[in-house]
Amino acid sequence: MAKISNQIRRLRFNQKEMTQEELARAVGCTRQTIIALEQNKYVPSIELAYKIAKVFKVTLEEVFQYE
Amino acid sequence: MHTQDWQALLAGGEKMAPLQKRALYGFLIGLLLAFAILALLIFGGGINRFDSDDGFRIIIDVLWVLGLVTPLVLFWPLMQNSAKYDERDKVIMERSVRIQWIAIILSLATWIITLSEIYYSAGTVPVSFLYVMFISILIISTLSQSVGILIGYWRMSRHG
Repeated sequence: MAKISNQIRRLRFNQKEMTQEELARAVGCTRQTIIALEQNKYVPSIELAYKIAKVFKVTLEEVFQYE
Repeated sequence: MHTQDWQALLAGGEKMAPLQKRALYGFLIGLLLAFAILALLIFGGGINRFDSDDGFRIIIDVLWVLGLVTPLVLFWPLMQNSAKYDERDKVIMERSVRIQWIAIILSLATWIITLSEIYYSAGTVPVSFLYVMFISILIISTLSQSVGILIGYWRMSRHG
């Protein structure tokens, strides 16, 4: 089965150890959704995916990988 | 077990989402109201008293209206707050409708089969049962919505 993984945890760490709460506030979602994303338990909408990539100033492919 | 432990268990090891927390409160309040209505109907005089005693009927009415208002008070303000209610919560909320539908259909079927079996030979069903049926469907709808939301979070924390 195809799976979408992501690098959010690593990117947060590289971004001066940004907290889940800070990322959630920046993209307009709850901290629980960031937790679910980092654990690969939730696949975000295109809009949320772009917002996350924008916060980290990287491309969508650098955040999300389709396996 | 402390409240926080239960919350963590229901959330799959992480702090509960605002909608999840409110669904749990909604479920507990709904359950309390359902038991109160059931207890009044069973031990307080049954359907005959409900039919003849206006005061008794008002007490039951207050209880089911509370059951109806509870999810509105719990969920509506939260759904207007985008910082506490995001796209994941929306997906779970939409999925909970399936559980709600199943619960409503099952309870309707139970009511109809039970009343038909009991009153088949009489040929008529006391009118008060229609009102009690309506109340029970509302309470079940409220409860099953909360259960559906809790199941949604539980499933997502395990299977994604």
